[in-house]
Amino acid sequence: MADIQKDAPIKSVQVEALVVMKIVKHCSTSFPTVATGSIVGMDNNGVIEVTNTFQFPSVDVSNSDSHSDASSLAAAAPRAKANIVYQNEMIRHLKEVNVDANNVGWYTSATMGNFINMSFIENQYHYQKDNEKTVALVHDVSRSSQGALSLRAFKLSPEFMTAYKEAKFTTESLRATKLTYKDIFVELPVNVHNSHLLTSFLHQIPAPPKSAEIPMPASLDDIRRDPVQIPAHPGFESLDLSIDPFLEKTCDLLLDSIESHYTDLNNHQYYQRQLTREQFKITQWQAKRKAENAARLAAKQQPLPEDEWQRLFKLPQEPSRLEGMLNARQVDQYARQVDAFTANITAKMFAVRGNLLPE
Amino acid sequence: MAVDQESFVHLSRPLAPNVLGFGVSNAPLTVNIQPQAVFSIIDHAVRRDDRDTQSTRVIGALVGVRSEDGSEVEVRSTFAIPHTENEDQVEVDVEYQKNMLALTLKASPRETLLGWYTTSHELNSFSALIQNFFASPETGTFPHPAVHLTIGTEAGAPIETKTYISAPVAVSPERAAESCLFIEVPHKLLFTEAERGALGSVAAAADAESRSAPVVSDIENLAQALETVSDLLERVSGFVGEVLDEERDGNHALGQYLMNALSLAPKVSNLAIENDFNNHIQDVLMVSYLANTIRTQIELSQRLATAKLDEGKEAGEKKEEGAEGEKKSDGQRGQRGQGGKRGGRGGGAGGRGGREQREPREPREAAE
Repeated sequence: MADIQKDAPIKSVQVEALVVMKIVKHCSTSFPTVATGSIVGMDNNGVIEVTNTFQFPSVDVSNSDSHSDASSLAAAAPRAKANIVYQNEMIRHLKEVNVDANNVGWYTSATMGNFINMSFIENQYHYQKDNEKTVALVHDVSRSSQGALSLRAFKLSPEFMTAYKEAKFTTESLRATKLTYKDIFVELPVNVHNSHLLTSFLHQIPAPPKSAEIPMPASLDDIRRDPVQIPAHPGFESLDLSIDPFLEKTCDLLLDSIESHYTDLNNHQYYQRQLTREQFKITQWQAKRKAENAARLAAKQQPLPEDEWQRLFKLPQEPSRLEGMLNARQVDQYARQVDAFTANITAKMFAVRGNLLPE
Repeated sequence: MAVDQESFVHLSRPLAPNVLGFGVSNAPLTVNIQPQAVFSIIDHAVRRDDRDTQSTRVIGALVGVRSEDGSEVEVRSTFAIPHTENEDQVEVDVEYQKNMLALTLKASPRETLLGWYTTSHELNSFSALIQNFFASPETGTFPHPAVHLTIGTEAGAPIETKTYISAPVAVSPERAAESCLFIEVPHKLLFTEAERGALGSVAAAADAESRSAPVVSDIENLAQALETVSDLLERVSGFVGEVLDEERDGNHALGQYLMNALSLAPKVSNLAIENDFNNHIQDVLMVSYLANTIRTQIELSQRLATAKLDEGKEAGEKKEEGAEGEKKSDGQRGQRGQGGKRGGRGGGAGGRGGREQREPREPREAAE
């Protein structure tokens, strides 16, 4: 059984409409605080079918009333002890009403794709270390407000899992494993799926006209009073022209990333200086000991051991490269996002010009 | 967007004799239902276990918020309750309902129990029994009325939703537990702005044969929207053309409406448009270019940080100096790594400088 499961790596994620709606609802109500929850479903020949979801208990923030605290607590929720109990309890209850009772991961909300951080890694590692077939769904609230739903599925790559398990992110180990920031995540395609019953329900909203022949409106007020019911797909929100705020926000986030890149660099430079200083001291000490030994040899005395420096001096610990890698991945994501925006806005602008300046 | 019923007779809702003194108004009650509640009921209906019950319906609890005066309730979520129904008795897992409610409320403390749902339109004595359970002071919504929502899930019939509240009515006190008067109240399906996008993808899946659709990128979404718009414009111009050719009768209201829409086009000189257009597009492309430059710089820095430099030389050093030299060459390697990173940092600063120069231009761009 286990072998069969291992043979079929996850190819895609299929999300039920119910799950989409629940996640969107939860994330948008708690915006801008991060919202997290658990997803249940099953693995079907390499396709993870997500069939239900529930949110984690919201953290009581009455004693710490700042938003960032609530966010960080919510971001840590998937691996909090109390929530594991909650999750198991909930799944046990869902099982009684025939819901697929396997945990297949968790979801989180994000703003303009800013979800790549240590917390995300830790959460996903927490799930993935027990069960290979778990994913993290990321719902981007800000991007979804432009009209198109932004729901992405990620898992950690096996290489990254091994590295993270050993907590080895030194220059040395990265060189050996050839792990780069691009190999942290594996993104999986997401499909939305409806049940038959839901499909027929969706075809009723908005209700189709009762007869084939629609009566003509008698006055302007008639049209205004009874506006046309626009079908939900495709949504016309994506035709909105004001994309600049999104670009601006992404640029801000990009600047933040550069800031943390600097911090990371400074840490490393500090480490390098420290290392050089220690090594200089060691070399000095070794030279001194050699000279001493030569003197002792001349005086026919027993030479002193030359490897004592290992006890006397301690080389500084190399800071983990993980932060830097995550940051690089984040920047990569922002840049791609900007590209996507550019593609969008350029198309829209040419459309506007074509409209205002007919050739 | 709200999918509403067309018209509704608001009946003053019945007062139970024992709720007087709780200050509950008898104003009409409106029920707002959020889509995910309906979705979840439908999901439950699909997952019905029909092995050991004769009933064709499932039941569950409605959870949500109630406005302060109790005249409006909003159903936000639901959970299923296992129950079995036979010809002469009904069993509801009360323990399960209690636990599940506690779990649900733990996740969203502001919500309360509102009532219950079932997936058939039939109202029978079992319905009354369950309704009284949900409206009772100990286990239910008392002093507020419990809302009963029914969704028809029979094949071949449209999926209709109906909402009721109830009043106690009985010929004798013994029968009070199993009878009540259901009164239909108006309800509407409420979509918030955030849910529109989600609904779009869900609806896209509904249109497809396979009942599933991929989550598309922004640009694809834009393309689809543009196609639909141009299709709609085509239809409108077709209509106008037919009227002009006297193939069909014109309509004053529609004509006026179209004229109003056309007059919304701004009157700007061609030169100004061209100018604004070029400025804006250059700004956007600049941001894109800089973002990509930063990305390249960061990638470069990442690569240099772990790059293997001067491999041959190091190996030579190692041979000469032996075990002791290994540490030293390590150090040198470290230093070289630093040198590499310096390059990365310089590059990063370059990218950053570029951004900073841009910064003052930002407001103007936003103002456009």
